[in-house]
Amino acid sequence: MRELSDGELVTMVRSGESEAFGELVRRYQRPAYAVALAVSGKHHDAEDAAQESFLVALQRLDDCRNPSRFAGWFLAIVRNRSRNLVRRRKLRMGEQIPASAKTRGPSPAKAAYISELRSRLNEALSTLTEVQREIVLLHDLEGWKHREISERLGIPQGTVRSHLHFARKALRIQLAEWRDVKEP
Amino acid sequence: MGTGNEDRFKGIGVADPAWDDPRYWDRFHAAVLARAVFELATRRRQAQQPVAAVLSSWSRSLIPVALAAAVIAALLIGSEANRGPAPAAPPLALEDVLGDEVGDGSFQAVMQGELHASPIAFMALVEGNDP
Repeated sequence: MRELSDGELVTMVRSGESEAFGELVRRYQRPAYAVALAVSGKHHDAEDAAQESFLVALQRLDDCRNPSRFAGWFLAIVRNRSRNLVRRRKLRMGEQIPASAKTRGPSPAKAAYISELRSRLNEALSTLTEVQREIVLLHDLEGWKHREISERLGIPQGTVRSHLHFARKALRIQLAEWRDVKEP
Repeated sequence: MGTGNEDRFKGIGVADPAWDDPRYWDRFHAAVLARAVFELATRRRQAQQPVAAVLSSWSRSLIPVALAAAVIAALLIGSEANRGPAPAAPPLALEDVLGDEVGDGSFQAVMQGELHASPIAFMALVEGNDP
């Protein structure tokens, strides 16, 4: 079956079609999380902001003037929600990127290793600018192409490449020993 | 996920919550959909409403508003009618208007037969200057 475009899905969701909404969530849950993580730097904040953003987008879907450009419109909501969340929770300290991965399965040694790895990655990411974090997460984590990032974030492709280059360079320097890390 | 780009920084994969929790995104998806049930149901209900139902729902709110407007208009008209006609202004005679700026002497002179005088003499009379 032909994959429906974002615009088609948005039109269907406006009529309350749950399956279409489910597909939009499936399509954008990872990018939403990546953008939220780039802004907040914390797993739980990113998770909350990404989930809330889907609900806000659903409520405001009639404001999306160009449904074929849903991605850019939606990620702007994610960014704003994440910034608001960070502002609200500024005093909350501690936990960084995925705290424990729910402790479903991994042995204590593995959990500790993952926790340490995430902590180091979070530190390294925090040295980047917000837009660099967003781009490196969308590209290297979510697998978006330069062109997709450029179109959806409204940034020229050359700038995307440049941000990505500097972000990777910084991460490689700071995480040299973790490069191409394998699970224990 | 993956672009096939060899430059990709693989260490970043640990930022994906599913890295060590393969069911994470399924739970995330389910959580969002569960919270969206009410909004989706509202949208479905609105989309399924036939045109007649929409018009009927409008009329339900329009009729009381129209009735209220009519009552207010009737009250306003009634209160205007109770006040009765406005008092008539006293009649103003043409002579009063014409003679308003003319002194007593000049007016009398005009009325007493100076009408054959030249226009210049008449104006001098009216303005109070002897030619």
